[in-house]
Amino acid sequence: MRTRPTRVAVAFAALTLVAACSGGGSITDSGDTQPPAGESTVADTGGETTVAESTTSVPADSLPDCPTDALADATGTTEITFWHGMSGPLGEELTRLTDAYNASQDKVKVSLVQGSYEETADNYYQASADDRPDIVQLPEYQVQAMVDTASAIPVGKCLEASGFDTSAFLPTALQAYSTAGVQWAMPFNISNPVLFYNKRVFEAAGLDPNTPPASLEEMRSMSQQIVESGAAKFGLSLESGFDSGGGWYVEQWFAKAQEFYVDGDNGRTTRATKVLYNNQTGVDLLTFLQQMLNDGLAVDVGDNSQTGYDNLLKMADQTEPAAMTINTSASLGPVLAVLGSGQFPNINANDVGVGPMPGPDGAPGALIGGAALWMVDSGDDVSTAATWDFLTYLVGAQVQSEWAVATGYVPNRTDALDLEPYKGTVAADPRFAVAYQQLLDTPDAPTSAGPVVGPLRQIRSVLATAVAAVFNGEDVQTVLDAAAEQANGLIADYNARN
Amino acid sequence: MKRRLRDVPWAVVMLLPSVVLIAVWTVYPLVKAVQNGHLRCDVTGTKCIDAGWGRYWDVFISAEFQHALGVSLKLMALTVPAGLVLGVGLAVLADKHLRGIGIFRTIFSSTVATSVAVASLVWFVLLQPQIGVFADLFSGWFPVLKNPGLLNDPGTALLAVAFSSIWANLGFTFIIVTAALQSVPRDLYESAYVDGAGNVRRFTNVTLPMIAPTLLFVTVVLTTRALQTYGEIALLTGGGPNPEKSTTTIPYLIYGRNSIISGDLGTKSAAAVLLFVLSLALALVQFRGLDKRVHYGR
Amino acid sequence: MAADTVRGVRKVGRYTLLVVLAVIVLFPIYAVVLQALKTGPDSLDHPRSLLPVDLTLSTIKAAWTQGNLGRLLMNSVFVSVMVTLGVVLTSLLAAYAFAFLQFPLKGPIFVLFLATMLVPAEVTVVINERTADSLGWINSYQGLIVPSLASTFGIFLVRQVFLQLPGELREAAALDGVGHVRFLWEVAAPLSRPTLGALGLFTFLGTWNAYLWPSQVIRGDRAHETVQIGLERLKNNDISKINLVTGGLVVAALPIFIMLVLFQRQLVRGLTAGAVKG
Repeated sequence: MRTRPTRVAVAFAALTLVAACSGGGSITDSGDTQPPAGESTVADTGGETTVAESTTSVPADSLPDCPTDALADATGTTEITFWHGMSGPLGEELTRLTDAYNASQDKVKVSLVQGSYEETADNYYQASADDRPDIVQLPEYQVQAMVDTASAIPVGKCLEASGFDTSAFLPTALQAYSTAGVQWAMPFNISNPVLFYNKRVFEAAGLDPNTPPASLEEMRSMSQQIVESGAAKFGLSLESGFDSGGGWYVEQWFAKAQEFYVDGDNGRTTRATKVLYNNQTGVDLLTFLQQMLNDGLAVDVGDNSQTGYDNLLKMADQTEPAAMTINTSASLGPVLAVLGSGQFPNINANDVGVGPMPGPDGAPGALIGGAALWMVDSGDDVSTAATWDFLTYLVGAQVQSEWAVATGYVPNRTDALDLEPYKGTVAADPRFAVAYQQLLDTPDAPTSAGPVVGPLRQIRSVLATAVAAVFNGEDVQTVLDAAAEQANGLIADYNARN
Repeated sequence: MKRRLRDVPWAVVMLLPSVVLIAVWTVYPLVKAVQNGHLRCDVTGTKCIDAGWGRYWDVFISAEFQHALGVSLKLMALTVPAGLVLGVGLAVLADKHLRGIGIFRTIFSSTVATSVAVASLVWFVLLQPQIGVFADLFSGWFPVLKNPGLLNDPGTALLAVAFSSIWANLGFTFIIVTAALQSVPRDLYESAYVDGAGNVRRFTNVTLPMIAPTLLFVTVVLTTRALQTYGEIALLTGGGPNPEKSTTTIPYLIYGRNSIISGDLGTKSAAAVLLFVLSLALALVQFRGLDKRVHYGR
Repeated sequence: MAADTVRGVRKVGRYTLLVVLAVIVLFPIYAVVLQALKTGPDSLDHPRSLLPVDLTLSTIKAAWTQGNLGRLLMNSVFVSVMVTLGVVLTSLLAAYAFAFLQFPLKGPIFVLFLATMLVPAEVTVVINERTADSLGWINSYQGLIVPSLASTFGIFLVRQVFLQLPGELREAAALDGVGHVRFLWEVAAPLSRPTLGALGLFTFLGTWNAYLWPSQVIRGDRAHETVQIGLERLKNNDISKINLVTGGLVVAALPIFIMLVLFQRQLVRGLTAGAVKG
């Protein structure tokens, strides 16, 4: 009796051992016939051969039309569904805006479904055509995957059909959601990473509390002064979440350095086939951060994608605080609210300083983060027109002004700046203007549009893993090369499947 | 013969609900997953190409699956023996007629009332590196609680998950083992006592053999739970922390939001089928080991 | 005399050990409940005070409203009750067929049923999600309830009890002209009430605690979320809700604690039912 479980356990162990010895590749490899990374997007995956289309090969006239005037003839109320990724106070504000829209007219009624960005994207991709919403909010790293679902009406078509004026919109924002001349989605909530710092600590360290570091080099020297003066245990708190320090910020730093992150001009002119982040720019950048950790000037709080705020809390830590951190501008509103409630004795809302994200040699600018609104092709003209009507409401100047104040997102258009409540808020609290100013300072360069590549989310995960390894003290070049190889495999596999 | 057939319509009617439900929600998905396992699909999972049955082997030996398998096995090793020893220890300790023992029994059973989500979030709150109670109270002795935090350190994250699991399962183990202890005939102890057996010998010679089937059952349940660990990972670590992804179990590899194969239906199916094969191996233990003969098979 | 002293010392030792272990087991619950009962600033003080002073319900109230917990609890209760009733009913029917009816291939069919117990939910969810989607059951009660309505374990358990009922019962009833449905409803089911109660409680708990399936079939629809899934939302990506999680935990766990205190006996029976197969 007693031998039987043992026997099974042995078999179990043997199975594992066999596998461990045989040394497999990556789970996402397309099989033996996988093309060399970066050479080709044709993959023979055993049997059929499929040819992946490049982004440029989608002819503009094959895209679905956008009948924006169909609502005029419709009778009754058209119900549309909006899937979004706004949680907490952001979600509450979006609900308020939507309620206001529903109350303002009776032709369109919008209902909201909320998830995280990841949930919303997964749910969208897994939903059958009938179950898709009419409008979906997806972050910038989903552009290629969304294009490949061939389920969206490009907003460019709607802009054309309705003659909607986009001259007030930030060009970088529009640019972020267009590939090869097609405007796919409408930027709605725009964020970019900014530097949060504790003015009280700056003062204690003998630094000017109103002058945050302008460059990476200055960030280091200030950290040095903070640590040496004993004003705080650490200068900077770093993290390696895929959607922040481990992925997104690296993309930002590449843009600041005016370097492409993936080939095909960041995937904007031709379909991307490989990542470029293991070049000198990437190595220098991560070596710099690693050095700050090694020298005790910075602290790594790990992967904060579980909460999104571990690095911010490190500034409020009562025993071993950090003086600075980089975080999305979208967290400004909630952060000030929490600190304003007085939960943390060593920092309150007024102590929080906000500065532009420091770049190499002080290079300015930032990539668009946040998310855009996608029109889903339902095949129903009235729904499409109703969706467009709601979309234009959300990106209107007045709504953008209110939205920006409630959330900390950046208005997507210049004429929103002069409207209340944004105008008054920025005048009273210039911290809300930092992220916007950072976008205005963005150089007019092809690198300012950020990478577009199918599995960008997974690529970020891979890089986040690499960044964590670098933070743990491993060799930068080796780690980045391995990550690049894995990412290139993901791209080849994705391109072969889509 | 006639009588046998007379019951058939009734049998059909009575079995139909269960048959339909199990066919649609258990059998069909298994068959379909086996089929899907060799497909590679686009993001929407609609356009697929056939990668052949070799795909299963590729997935099985892939670095990611092997890693997840390793994590799952490690989690078993961390949770099952410890959970068993603690549960049995508490049950034996509380299996005495002492004043107020009921209160202790209730306390030791209490974690059975926590769900995966509740138990995980309890530990999530406690283990927060900057604001958690544990970091505040014990980081002097264990600096890892604060920098970077038990859940954020690649070396300790799985251990933290194991703590949460062991604690959450403790109530279950305690209740089952206590019930088993109470069914051990008292006269067996008395005769052992008469034979001059001490506490330890009474435990090894009388208690242990009598509760052996129960222990086997608990072991199987704890092992199965360890292999199926998903919620704890989703709520505590998200499969991280990087760089090792030290808590990505097989179920998390399949279903996790941050998983590298999320959105890849074919690979998810293949991994699910492989998980099934592993569960089958475990079930073998269950069906053979829990055979009734174990009662008498000492 | 000496023996008494030894016994006394032992007793003290045992109590001490029990108390220490009880404190360790209870500490996580105590710390979280305490944090939930304090205001934000108090709950995060340093060094942390573990004394129950300055208690308030404000965090729990905030969690209740912001987490929409009333609705979530109702959803969980509704789904769990429906699944429990369904499982008890389908198990009764199928078990009756296997225990009291004669039909060809009964043995093999029963073995096939048992075999499906080997398929864990973690394997089938990949496809069930798509099935639910094609039925339009994403974000719906049907999606949460229907896939769980049959339980092989339940059928097995109830069949065991039915087989232990004296065979003459059914024969006598048949002679009196009592049909299958009436016999099931008036004789067999009432006689197996303890087992049904255990099965019911077991199923209720399992459904209430379920995490994987609800997290996949409910996609952001707060109207249909169960409380287990809703808790995650309190935690995720929102710095302003750090404390609310504790309030949510208390609200989510309390009903089950109360239930278990009330139904302790059924619970033990339900949990041990798996252990004593046959």
